Amino acid sequence: MINFSILFQKEWRENVRNFKILWIPLVFILFGISEPLTYYYLPQILNAVGNMPSDMAFQLPEYTPEQIIMSTIGQYQLIGMLIVAFGFAGIIARERKNGTATMLYVRPISYNGYVFSKLAIMGILIVGSACVGLLANLYYTYVLYGAVDSIAFIGFLGTYSIWLLFAISVVICCSAAFSTGIASVVSIFFLVIVPVVDGLLGTYWTISPWKLPMYAGQILNSNLDKTPFIWSLIITLAVVLLLVVGAAYIAKRNVAKAKI
Amino acid sequence: MKTLLHVQELTKEYGKEKAVNEITFSLNKNTATALIGPNGAGKTTTLSILAGLLKQTSGSVVIDGDMKGDIRSEIGFLPQYPQFYSWLTALEFIEMAAQLSGIDGKMIRSQAVRTLDFVGLEDAKNKRTGTFSGGMKQRLGLAQAIVHKPGLLLLDEPVSALDPMGRREVLNLLKELQEHTTILYSTHILNDAEEMTDQLLFLKKGQLVEQGSLKEVRDKYANLQYKIIFVNTEEAAKFVEISPWPAKQENEVVFIHLEENKPMMNEVLQILANSNLQLSKVERASASLEEIFLQVVNKHD
Repeated sequence: MINFSILFQKEWRENVRNFKILWIPLVFILFGISEPLTYYYLPQILNAVGNMPSDMAFQLPEYTPEQIIMSTIGQYQLIGMLIVAFGFAGIIARERKNGTATMLYVRPISYNGYVFSKLAIMGILIVGSACVGLLANLYYTYVLYGAVDSIAFIGFLGTYSIWLLFAISVVICCSAAFSTGIASVVSIFFLVIVPVVDGLLGTYWTISPWKLPMYAGQILNSNLDKTPFIWSLIITLAVVLLLVVGAAYIAKRNVAKAKI
Repeated sequence: MKTLLHVQELTKEYGKEKAVNEITFSLNKNTATALIGPNGAGKTTTLSILAGLLKQTSGSVVIDGDMKGDIRSEIGFLPQYPQFYSWLTALEFIEMAAQLSGIDGKMIRSQAVRTLDFVGLEDAKNKRTGTFSGGMKQRLGLAQAIVHKPGLLLLDEPVSALDPMGRREVLNLLKELQEHTTILYSTHILNDAEEMTDQLLFLKKGQLVEQGSLKEVRDKYANLQYKIIFVNTEEAAKFVEISPWPAKQENEVVFIHLEENKPMMNEVLQILANSNLQLSKVERASASLEEIFLQVVNKHD
């Protein structure tokens, strides 16, 4: 781990200078804000732009603040996961492919430190951006729809962050193992396809990392089933640990694939 | 002389292909060794194994006992096409390289600046490496390889990509480094090897086909022929007909191969004098490294 801070400084400089530090939070904030705004102003928007007969009446459902927040999570589960997968699938694979990593691998670096530097920068960018986005979302939801229980919101935010940590670990492990292209496909499979399958067939089981966003919603609605949630949390953290340690091991094994 | 590195029957296989095939050699401390061979001979593979980037299939690499701990901190490696993080400046990159190689915290800045001065990049040290030309990248690559003052410097084609002036400068830098560093470098530009080398290693198809000092190799291959230059091609052709020894003609030049110093020079001159052919020059050819290279390569076909 001795090289962690040096390697993290490199990652930080990269993401500041390629403006990821700017656009990733902006995307999350944009989707965070747009959700309550569009739901709230939908009738006015329809009136303003739609060529509707004036006597037509809309029966729009009444949303609770919790529903608005969960609908934002729905957006993050697609847009956010696409950003995580496509934006970071090359985080290790690309350096290996273009030969920049060779200059690191010939030095006495620790591969744990190397992978942790990647984990840390992605954690800051993704978890940080999602939290900022959800806080912006919470503000507009509060203004337009009313308050949610703050303790429940913190529990929700924490649980969703653990899910994001899982997503990040999947991408890092894929990037350590495969080329950028394959890594993004495999990541998309685990972060977009599997959640859909889990949602469709998931009534048969209750413990899985892919259920964490659902449990986060239950925390927000204060109707959480504690036992499967705790187990899912434990399993997820164990898998995260496994993926990160695995990524360091695989990255070391794949040194020979670096372009020389 | 002290041995720094000993390589014993090093082999690297890719499937059934042997990229490096049982090569054995030693590097003495503070000497320069040139790894010579045609493209695909296994030069880069050999250097990569020594740098720890590839793992050999079999064979051993033993590094002098003075080098303890992670030997990677004692090795500097310059790849053939060094690639840099385009968003880092030269100074930031060299500082990172120095830190990763375990340079003491207070020394990092001064060491990095001094190294960049040494390779002639002092004016570009605050520019991002993405804007660098090929020659500047090569210098920066050299800087990152030497910033931590390694005992062993592995350079893959260090000057091949440079223009004549850059090549001269980098060769001078390497000569300076050689006084306190062991250098192993690959090249296919033989004039460079001729200039800075204590030992030559000829690789071909993964095999070490010849090795020795420049003088040893010269002695073995150089005096193999007489070179007789006639005034024109016809004269040369006439000589080939009357020559008692096998002769090879290339336009107005005729070569006669020597086997164990036979024939003697005066025998050749006698035949020439009797023949009344018009000639302009006779010499016992001292082959350039390039000719030696071709001989070595062809001999082992």
